[in-house]
Amino acid sequence: MASVGGGWQIAGVQTSVYVHFPWCARKCPYCDFASYRMAPAAVPHARYADAVLRELERRADAVRGRELASVFFGGGTPSMWAPAELGRVLHAIRGAFGAAERRSDEALEVTVECNPASLDRAGAAALREAGVNRLSIGVQALRDERLRFLGRMHDREGALAAVRAALETHERVSVDLMFGTPGQRVDDFADEIREALDLGIQHVSAYALTIEPGTVFGDMQRAGTLRIATDDEYAALFAQTERAMGARGLEHYEVSNYAAPGERSRHNEHYWRGGAYLGLGAGAVGCLDAGPGTARRYRNTADTERYMGAGDLAETEAEDEHLDGDALVREALMLGLRTDAGVDLADVERRSGRPVPRGRERAIERRLAQGDLLLTGDHLRVPRARWLHLDGIIADVF
Amino acid sequence: MPFPLERIRNFSIIAHIDHGKSTLADRILDVTGAVSQRERREQLLDRMELEQERGITIKAQGVRLPWRAADGRDYQLNLIDTPGHVDFSYEVSRSLAACEGALLVVDATQGVEAQTLANVYLALENDLEIIPVFNKIDLPSADVERVAREVEDVVGLDCSEVLACSGKTGAGVRELLERIVARVPPPRGALDGPVRALLFDSWYDSYRGAVSMVRVFDGTLSKGDKIRMMATGAEYEVGEITVYTPFPTSIESLGAGEVGAFAASVKSIHDTKIGDTITLARAPATKALAGFREVKPMVFCGIFPTDSDQYTELRDALDKLHLNDSAFVFEPETSDALGFGFRCGFLGLLHMEIVQERLEREYDLGLITTAPSVVYKVTTETGEQFEVENPSRIPDGRVRVEEPYFTVSIHVPSAYVGAVIALCQERRGEQKGIQYASTDRVIITYEMPLAEVLYDFFDRLKSATRGYASMDYEPAGYRENKLVRLDMLINGDKVDALSAIVHKDKAYPIGRSLAAKLKKIVPQQQYEVAIQAAIGSKIVARETVRALRKDVTAKCYGGDISRKRKLLEKQKEGKKRMKSLGKVEIPQDAFHAILKVD
Repeated sequence: MASVGGGWQIAGVQTSVYVHFPWCARKCPYCDFASYRMAPAAVPHARYADAVLRELERRADAVRGRELASVFFGGGTPSMWAPAELGRVLHAIRGAFGAAERRSDEALEVTVECNPASLDRAGAAALREAGVNRLSIGVQALRDERLRFLGRMHDREGALAAVRAALETHERVSVDLMFGTPGQRVDDFADEIREALDLGIQHVSAYALTIEPGTVFGDMQRAGTLRIATDDEYAALFAQTERAMGARGLEHYEVSNYAAPGERSRHNEHYWRGGAYLGLGAGAVGCLDAGPGTARRYRNTADTERYMGAGDLAETEAEDEHLDGDALVREALMLGLRTDAGVDLADVERRSGRPVPRGRERAIERRLAQGDLLLTGDHLRVPRARWLHLDGIIADVF
Repeated sequence: MPFPLERIRNFSIIAHIDHGKSTLADRILDVTGAVSQRERREQLLDRMELEQERGITIKAQGVRLPWRAADGRDYQLNLIDTPGHVDFSYEVSRSLAACEGALLVVDATQGVEAQTLANVYLALENDLEIIPVFNKIDLPSADVERVAREVEDVVGLDCSEVLACSGKTGAGVRELLERIVARVPPPRGALDGPVRALLFDSWYDSYRGAVSMVRVFDGTLSKGDKIRMMATGAEYEVGEITVYTPFPTSIESLGAGEVGAFAASVKSIHDTKIGDTITLARAPATKALAGFREVKPMVFCGIFPTDSDQYTELRDALDKLHLNDSAFVFEPETSDALGFGFRCGFLGLLHMEIVQERLEREYDLGLITTAPSVVYKVTTETGEQFEVENPSRIPDGRVRVEEPYFTVSIHVPSAYVGAVIALCQERRGEQKGIQYASTDRVIITYEMPLAEVLYDFFDRLKSATRGYASMDYEPAGYRENKLVRLDMLINGDKVDALSAIVHKDKAYPIGRSLAAKLKKIVPQQQYEVAIQAAIGSKIVARETVRALRKDVTAKCYGGDISRKRKLLEKQKEGKKRMKSLGKVEIPQDAFHAILKVD
């Protein structure tokens, strides 16, 4: 039995794994993730896989005995990665969790983010072969003018073809849609959603376009040359999205996520519950509990050459942060209140070592009285009708 | 054996903030050998952290320095530090009254600063010998000749024998000390007359009680003496007598001309009144030293904890501050909007800011403070009279309201006379005189409602005169005016903490301007917020803060949890300065908006 000081048992702690693939064929103007432009032919497929395996090996002690909850390959564009190399990494991850990893292939959710431009039937089949059972496709829009504005390489037809190809080999396919582009009409977005659902997908992530500093859009906004939706338009789009999804039986289970029953992203739900996760790859972030009321979060260097050449973990990691019980409670609130399940107070108290309401009794009481919070048994949540005001509510009880 | 009077020199240092007073004082301590290198702390004379940070010396202190002068004789130099702001001008005047001379420190790279002048005039009123010193000559931009001419022209001091020094390098400091010995007159006094000592500073010490810093004018004050405070009549027995070298040293007695501190089991600092004369109970002096004044708080504001759980902590903190600040008063107050808190009285705005900062910094309290107010005298229709320190307490209906007036003296270069007059007129001032102190230096005197002085007058005066005006003020009684209470309503509910007393003729525009200002200050929130200004039952202005339509982060995954948590933590920190009134959150700034209304 592995344990860390204080008798904290890591054995059996549900832990997800995130693998970052840092390259894209083109960088999107809104994206602030760690990703670099790279011609598909130039991607160091094997060299990068080797580096991830080395990192995994160096983290073996932190992992051993934990139970693997899910695996997610994000990016960047992990669908650019040679499926055999991706499969090699996945296999090693399963191995690292050793005896604790008792799930059958199907029970363990393994997701890969795909770009429509780099996903075809053969690619999807190869990923299936490698053990991937869920694909998340960055469709973003089904209107050519919106796709052009978002700087995507595919058009409507390309997006539809990619989703169809994915559905031939994968039951579980999710698409990303983005709203809030200039001139977007509320009813037209509802049509886009219906067109996507008509393909047979069971999960949609519908994001409001968010302008981040340091991106092309961020620079344009600063220069005053970017015109995006007003707050009123956002609000209308948000409400319309929920209606369109609801009409087709998809539940609004997180601010930007919708799923048919049983089709929620387990990996993301694990994040939102404040679960432990191992991060692998250049620019990846991991956060592992280290006892009740304490956890360690690290961020790997986003410099791909440095990452691949790292001689030890000290060279791999660029940042590291120790979280105390208070920070754990805050994160649990920040993440959990974004979901329809809300925050499991008993679970958070067990992980953080402190009662969630302590020090925030008055704010919680006031928000409960205003109907911004609901307390059902041990679960504290924000009703969907108030999600558009979520940040203010969370800040209040933070 | 009392120290011979002719070899005592009592002096203070007058300087504008940043002109290097504290550094120069440190160097004087070095040169006289009072402080060794090891013992030296930067700016030794400023005790409190806050003072150091703001560059303001609040507490006067007396430091005794032995000095063997060029004539081979041993002198006792007493350096008396003074507070440096008009709020404390009475304290400054008492500290200066304890001296025979003053150094006027002028930054040789800058020149005369207007704010210094008020203290120069105070020193002249006290017949002090003023020695101009040009500091910071180590800097390449120092121009002693130009600045010396300016001092001659503007201040009217003789600068024929220029004294230049550097507090940083110590250059010129010995010459400076020699000049003090040569020029500052020795104290005059009767060595064996009835004891008279001027109490010019006091502080609270948790072991010894209130400690009095005094300058003995006549006679000798010894340990064990029974003393009487002439203003209060209270009697005590002198305990330990201390002089500061600057390290505390016990001595047996203080002779005429000397400066030191003593404890006398005085329980409260409010019993050691600055400016009081101390004499012996068995052989009292017949006449007290001139210049005593009862210090009364002129400016009041409400102080409330943002978190009502901190009420007790706030009271304890106020108690502690009160122990050590004789001019500060407080009593419990209840506000419909802000809950339980305290109404606090201060000498002036700076004093108020210092107390507020100390509460937040030293006691880590989240506070909401209301806009400062003066004390109004109210007479109701039935003839009942009372004083009101809180604008919201002025009753509705027909009442007569009197407000305090101050005589404000503004020293300004003649080029700015027009601007100053315009400002004073706008502030309901009544001109009392314009007097040319020199060809280009004017003293403008106005009688003005104190409330108008509180509302951003200083800043406006400074910007109207490019910082060249200096100002001094003293109470000038009460006057009845056409005053009305302006109320502010948030979503239809009157917020008592936002009420203000304004002149009837200006009430409408102020109401409109205040509503507009509040609209900018109150952040958009989940619900629409209506802001109204009312006089009596009449609404005179309305503004609406639109509801926030979207306040939600689109994405939150594993990679950016830390960043988002830190953003929220920062946001939460900002909320410490917000008060929830029902569903509406009002930032601290809102309660001070009235001060910035044009």
